[in-house]
Amino acid sequence: MPELGRAALVIALGLAVYACVAGGYAAWARRRRLAVSAQSALLAAFASTAVAALVLVAALARRDLSFAYVAEHSSRKLPLAYALSAFWGGQEGSLLLWLLVLTGFAAAAVALGRRAGQDIIAWVVPVLGGVAAFFAFVLVAVASPFATQPAPAEGAGMVPSLQNPYMLAHPPLLYLGYVGLTVPWAFAMGALLAGRTDERWIVATRRWTLAAWAFLGVGQLLGAKWAYEEVGWGGYYAWDPVENAALMPWLAATAFLHSVMIQEKRGMLKVWNVVLVSLAFCLALFGTFLTRSGVVNSIHSFTQSSIGPWFLAFIVIAVVVSVVLIFVRLPLLRSQVRIESLVSREATFLYNNLLLVALCLTVLWGVVYPLLSEAVRGQSLTVGPPFYNFFLRSFGLPLLLLMGIGPLIAWRRASLRALGRTFAWPLGVALIAGVMLLAAGAGSSIPGLVAYTFAVFVLASIAFEFVRGTRARRALGAPSWPSAFGALVAHNRRRYGGYVVHAAIVLLAIGIVGSSAYQTVGERALRPGQSMRVGDVTLAYRGLTERTAANASELRAHVDVIRDGRMVARVEPGKNSYPVERTTSNEMAIHTDWLRAQDVDVIADEINPTSGVVFFRVLVKPLVNLIWLAGLVFVGGALIALWPDAREERRLALRYESAAAGAPVAPPA
Amino acid sequence: MARRGSPARLVIALSVAALLAVFLLYTSIAGGGTPVVQPSELTGQSGRVQLSGKVIGPIVGSARSAAGARFRLRDVEGSATVRVLYRGSVPDQFQSGRHVYLQGALRHGLFVAKPGSLVTKCPSKYTAKKS
Repeated sequence: MPELGRAALVIALGLAVYACVAGGYAAWARRRRLAVSAQSALLAAFASTAVAALVLVAALARRDLSFAYVAEHSSRKLPLAYALSAFWGGQEGSLLLWLLVLTGFAAAAVALGRRAGQDIIAWVVPVLGGVAAFFAFVLVAVASPFATQPAPAEGAGMVPSLQNPYMLAHPPLLYLGYVGLTVPWAFAMGALLAGRTDERWIVATRRWTLAAWAFLGVGQLLGAKWAYEEVGWGGYYAWDPVENAALMPWLAATAFLHSVMIQEKRGMLKVWNVVLVSLAFCLALFGTFLTRSGVVNSIHSFTQSSIGPWFLAFIVIAVVVSVVLIFVRLPLLRSQVRIESLVSREATFLYNNLLLVALCLTVLWGVVYPLLSEAVRGQSLTVGPPFYNFFLRSFGLPLLLLMGIGPLIAWRRASLRALGRTFAWPLGVALIAGVMLLAAGAGSSIPGLVAYTFAVFVLASIAFEFVRGTRARRALGAPSWPSAFGALVAHNRRRYGGYVVHAAIVLLAIGIVGSSAYQTVGERALRPGQSMRVGDVTLAYRGLTERTAANASELRAHVDVIRDGRMVARVEPGKNSYPVERTTSNEMAIHTDWLRAQDVDVIADEINPTSGVVFFRVLVKPLVNLIWLAGLVFVGGALIALWPDAREERRLALRYESAAAGAPVAPPA
Repeated sequence: MARRGSPARLVIALSVAALLAVFLLYTSIAGGGTPVVQPSELTGQSGRVQLSGKVIGPIVGSARSAAGARFRLRDVEGSATVRVLYRGSVPDQFQSGRHVYLQGALRHGLFVAKPGSLVTKCPSKYTAKKS
């Protein structure tokens, strides 16, 4: 069986190399049949990689400990779902997942991206083939998941904290995001190689970019949810380098998703867009490198790995290729159109982009600072949450405000009178909300108060847009308000899906601010029968029990949560002991008050089973559940924006047919 | 239609870049990062550092008691050790043999950690390929 897996990977490598080399020659020499064969090679590479993946899945499902990878990341006692999730739990398996998703996306993107034009597709194939060849090479020559050994009696098992439902989904979603960013980058490079600098490559990859960005966003949220529930420190994001590794490409992709609208609408920012998509892709590679090389200290990593130098070399190649191509095609990329006014939608989108990129680069700086300081000063220095939080506030608050301004401001030039008319209502609502919040005590944190006020402004702006648009549809003859609303969204899914996503980001911001700036913390050792008060709740400790689960023994403290003299919940924080893995995990208990969107997190920090004394750490986190609700709204908005629109497809097909017939592709006015 | 170039974009970009550069310079250099050291590098360090090392030997006492938990930390790849005193919350993975980080300062040969700063590294997943 392992031989089948190894052979499948070697074949995938050969096919990827063929797609790269033959595809490159075919594009250069305009050999159509050779180009088609290179495209088919990508599809075949996917099939071969899928075979390798199935071999590993089968080994994991059977708990075949003769596979070194299975023995290192699984055990006979591990429940099946977690045993299968070990696929992406280690180095080799996660790289195989990368390759599987990459070849699958590559084959699909090339087949579905015909709108970009055959000349671009011809160059996209070798670019995607090159990336696939790198990953296949690493799997074949450096980090094979099919190494074998004499099967031990039992495997090493899985780190208990990873045995959590969110960990089943978090890594695959992140990989879908990381790998998905390869597609728009490959199309950008293909467009540059083909000498095509109109927005066709953007239109062809718009949904890929949006989907990759959405996967990355949801993947990070699931990771945060896992950290919140499982790691047991009451937080959800620690600015660890591995966490930042996913945030950086997401920020760059967010900027890209906005700035492409400018190119589509006004034909501007062509250079900026190819730079941004290259930045997003290179940061995705860098994030993968970070989590495998051990170059940066992280609680998540990972000793020095042999693939670090290979990844670094590939990142350098990707950066050099991107920079050279952009530089060579610069004359073609220059736009004749300029921003006419600093008060316009184009300018607002530009400010948004600058802030997003500034935040992205700030995070990057913080991640690489230990390396740079060691290289320059001979001493490794690290920066922590205060650094990141300072810049998150500095850049995040203006970004929040711009989310409310951008959608409402006019293209090209906005007059002060028009601005006054447009923003009077949202601004009024925000100011009233700000005063009310101040009266309610939110002034204890000025950044928090400002964030809340901006959030209300954005929500009011979004509501204003929906109301205005629905009214217009109704006036045009829609039979009812619900049908007018439905028609509004259906006729411009990208725009209104985007507004829904903005609303999700606002909810996220409110949740983050509430649960950090306004949280209450208490710590105390209690004997059975004793209680403690934290914020507006009393925790009464009743006693300890122990029970046995499938692969762990569980020690639990029983705690009543009391509010206004009434018991509202019983929670059971405690610890699990895992005999196979020889480790202990902290199991935080969470009581959620949905009405208040508030959590009471109870952590049994230290348990003395003999005396029954437990040291409790309790956090009362207002509005934290808005963060998770934001995830659902985010998915909804992304789905609306992604949903196929037959009308738009016809319009685009007509536009590019005209271009193919000789008319230049001009952006809409 | 060709239009005369506008300096708006350049001005905006340069302004933001300059602002960012000043911020970064100030907070990262003047504001100071925290030195990351191992036990062998502690000598001569005054002020707060981030200490990284492997827990060796027994862990004596409770981190939640007034006396705190005491243990020894050794260089990850080396033999230099330092005694550590820690009070505060203890992560799941903390035990002898684990790689940990703490913030704190050396006081008369004893590394006194900042309460709540103890962090353990997840056991390595992405290890080097076995030969």
